[in-house]
Amino acid sequence: MEKEEIETIETLDDVNTFLSFKLKDEYFATNVSKVLTILEMKPITKVPNSPTYMRGVINLRGNVLPVIDMRIKFGMPATEFTTATCIIVLNVEIEEENVQLGIIADAVDEVLEIKESEIEESPSIGTKYKNEFIQGMYKLKDGFIMLLNMNLIFNTDDLIITKEIEEAEAAQALKDE
Amino acid sequence: MEKFREKFIEEANDLINELEKLLLDIEGNQDNPDLIQQIFRVMHSLKGGSSMFGFNKMDKFTHHLENIYDLIRNKKLKINEEILDITLASVDHLRNLVHEGEDADTQNQEQHDLLLSKILQLIDENVVIDETSPTIQETDSRDIEDEATYYISFKPHANIFKFGTNPLYLIDELCEIGPTKVFVRTDELPEFDTINNTECHLYWDIFLVTNLGINTIGEVFIFADEQCDLSIHKISDINLLEEESFLGIIDETIKNQKEIDINQLKQLTNDLEKVFVKAQEDQTKQTINFSTIDANISSIRVSSEKLDNLINWVSELVTIQARLSLFAQETETNGLTPISEEVEKISRRLRDDVFSIRLIPIENMITRFQRLVRELSQELNKDVVFKTEGTETELDKNIIEALADPLLHIIRNSLDHGIETTDERQINGKPKRATILLKAFYSGTNVIIQISDDGKGIDPEKIRNQAILKGIITSDSELNKKDTFDLLFQPGFSTTQKVTKVSGRGVGMDVVKRKIAEIRGEVDIDSEINEGTTITIRLPLTLSIIDGLLVQIGTTKFVIPLSSVYKCYEFKHETLANSINNLIRTDNQEIAYLNLRELFEIEGDAPETEHVVAVQFGDTRIGLSVDNIIGQYQAVLKPLGKLYKKQQTISGATILGDGTVALVMDSNKLINQFANNQIKVGG
Repeated sequence: MEKEEIETIETLDDVNTFLSFKLKDEYFATNVSKVLTILEMKPITKVPNSPTYMRGVINLRGNVLPVIDMRIKFGMPATEFTTATCIIVLNVEIEEENVQLGIIADAVDEVLEIKESEIEESPSIGTKYKNEFIQGMYKLKDGFIMLLNMNLIFNTDDLIITKEIEEAEAAQALKDE
Repeated sequence: MEKFREKFIEEANDLINELEKLLLDIEGNQDNPDLIQQIFRVMHSLKGGSSMFGFNKMDKFTHHLENIYDLIRNKKLKINEEILDITLASVDHLRNLVHEGEDADTQNQEQHDLLLSKILQLIDENVVIDETSPTIQETDSRDIEDEATYYISFKPHANIFKFGTNPLYLIDELCEIGPTKVFVRTDELPEFDTINNTECHLYWDIFLVTNLGINTIGEVFIFADEQCDLSIHKISDINLLEEESFLGIIDETIKNQKEIDINQLKQLTNDLEKVFVKAQEDQTKQTINFSTIDANISSIRVSSEKLDNLINWVSELVTIQARLSLFAQETETNGLTPISEEVEKISRRLRDDVFSIRLIPIENMITRFQRLVRELSQELNKDVVFKTEGTETELDKNIIEALADPLLHIIRNSLDHGIETTDERQINGKPKRATILLKAFYSGTNVIIQISDDGKGIDPEKIRNQAILKGIITSDSELNKKDTFDLLFQPGFSTTQKVTKVSGRGVGMDVVKRKIAEIRGEVDIDSEINEGTTITIRLPLTLSIIDGLLVQIGTTKFVIPLSSVYKCYEFKHETLANSINNLIRTDNQEIAYLNLRELFEIEGDAPETEHVVAVQFGDTRIGLSVDNIIGQYQAVLKPLGKLYKKQQTISGATILGDGTVALVMDSNKLINQFANNQIKVGG
């Protein structure tokens, strides 16, 4: 244990801190540098005629924050709100512009320090998620955490609106499965 | 002193801009003496200021320039293209002189010498003209004297009527010469019963101001000379009729005294003149003082950062005020409600004022375009007139500044590529003179600027071929008209083969689109071959706070901009549900309505009583059905953000007093988008 700590300091550049969260039964993580804050669930105002994964907008300190249901985005059934449900506020880069948005997670798990060497490449087959969203995998005793590349997930082409894209994506996801 | 110089530079800039505008106005209005007078006046102020603040070069330069317009003013020279060209070039040069200082580089000096020699040449040529037509010149100069006040004592003989002369006609004639003050004297009128109606017993004292000289006045009486006692005296070199104190004294004199003694009068005016001249001097001094004070007040320059801060604070205030109103309503504490209402009133006024600070009319950038059209059309040898509509439409200063370049580019394109040569136009049976129209108007919470020309239009086929050639699309892509025109906004797209100096360097419309996108605007092209091209720019009103009507559908609250709301109606749900073709009857008129609950895919059932908000849509009105109308609300507009950028029907959101979010509808876009689904607009 002690030895590990020393190593951590020595190779500080290679260590990344991640926040892991749960979507349905699976674990995902985002680099903490992207995380601004974590909010309790609050009423969301649905914006008409937007894709279902765009759950709506909330008031974040006087500004309007779009909230995305990651479950729907990843092809799972929509999130049911419980006391553990929360909104992770992220600062991501979309088309060279900083954008703040919230993602709904079933629960926030823990903060992990993961060394570069511990990150495994995501298998090119056998996953239902688009490869480019996944930065890598981190192995736990009883499973995997998928490390997400947030900048790419919210790239406008994939995420932004029109229903056709959403449907095409859903079809694609089905095909991949 | 430095401070004053800066002030002068500021003022000089304004004057130069005004001058430019006047010069463009006078083109086509060449005989308008008012405009010439104004141009002269502006030049004069410029000259005065520059000499006062040690801009010697500018002083001399404007002096010569002013001479030209002095000649024009005195009708010794007729304004023409050449003069306007030189003057406009001079305006640019003056601007350089002001901006870069007088000791600027050699190029500037060359330009200075060149223009100066042109100006002097113009004046010289004019002198030659003078000599060739001396007769006209002579009469002109003889007739024109400085303005002066004359006293005319006109006493007709009693028998004047026998000669067929009506003294009133003579007085009328006098009045035509210049401003007059006529006093009729009745003291020689006999008693009523002894009046002989064939005789004249009245006589007149007349004060007349003219610059035509004493002879002209004498000429009026040329045929009545024998039948009256007439004396005409010049009493003053200034216009006494404008001096109230003089008129007062004369009134007094005439009431009390029988006869006006000319010597006394001269004495009086002499005294008065001294007082006037002194007063005028004082006044000028005072106006100078006033004008500096005025200038201080009217042109406080504030950094836009400060203004932005101010606007942010006001937005915060409005949001807090909404919370206060809500709190006051809920707690019902005695006396709190009036206070909160008062705060609401004040914050609304504050908001309006603060926002108006940043708004300026589009008018401000029009001069640039007029200038561009004028010069380019000459250069390209095309006959083009630039028209504007709705230039009083106001936009945020920042938007206007950011808009100037894209608009210049668009107009340049129109001139170069859009509009045909005069010959081509005639062959195609179009009027010789082409038109470029810039039209600005409000549409909902947007400002629309349209630039249209009646040129040859854009051929979609050509665009298509070009795009295939450049590899932007493949030859089997199917595009509709709009998509095809959108190709023009692709980087590196340019349809003209020929690269001209004016436009067509390959960086074209894509830059325009990007620049306009930077100010949250959109741009569209539409074109008909041989009919012309219209470019439409849709801009947000920066008014980041709007007055709106807060409504509710399901649990979601919406704000409809109050500017587009016409009237609200109440309907039973059944009535709406059973309506045919979504037409409902209100105020003896049928209007179509949109079922927002359905269109917005909001879950749940509509309440028994629904409300329909009628909004203005172009010439017609369209109803929008909502569950409930909550009331008027000042909405601080917050953008929905990039992720919702394709969301057209909602233009933004606002935070309500209770911290929840309400969505702001763009009623125009909403109707445009959904009209075909449920109703036929105008049907």
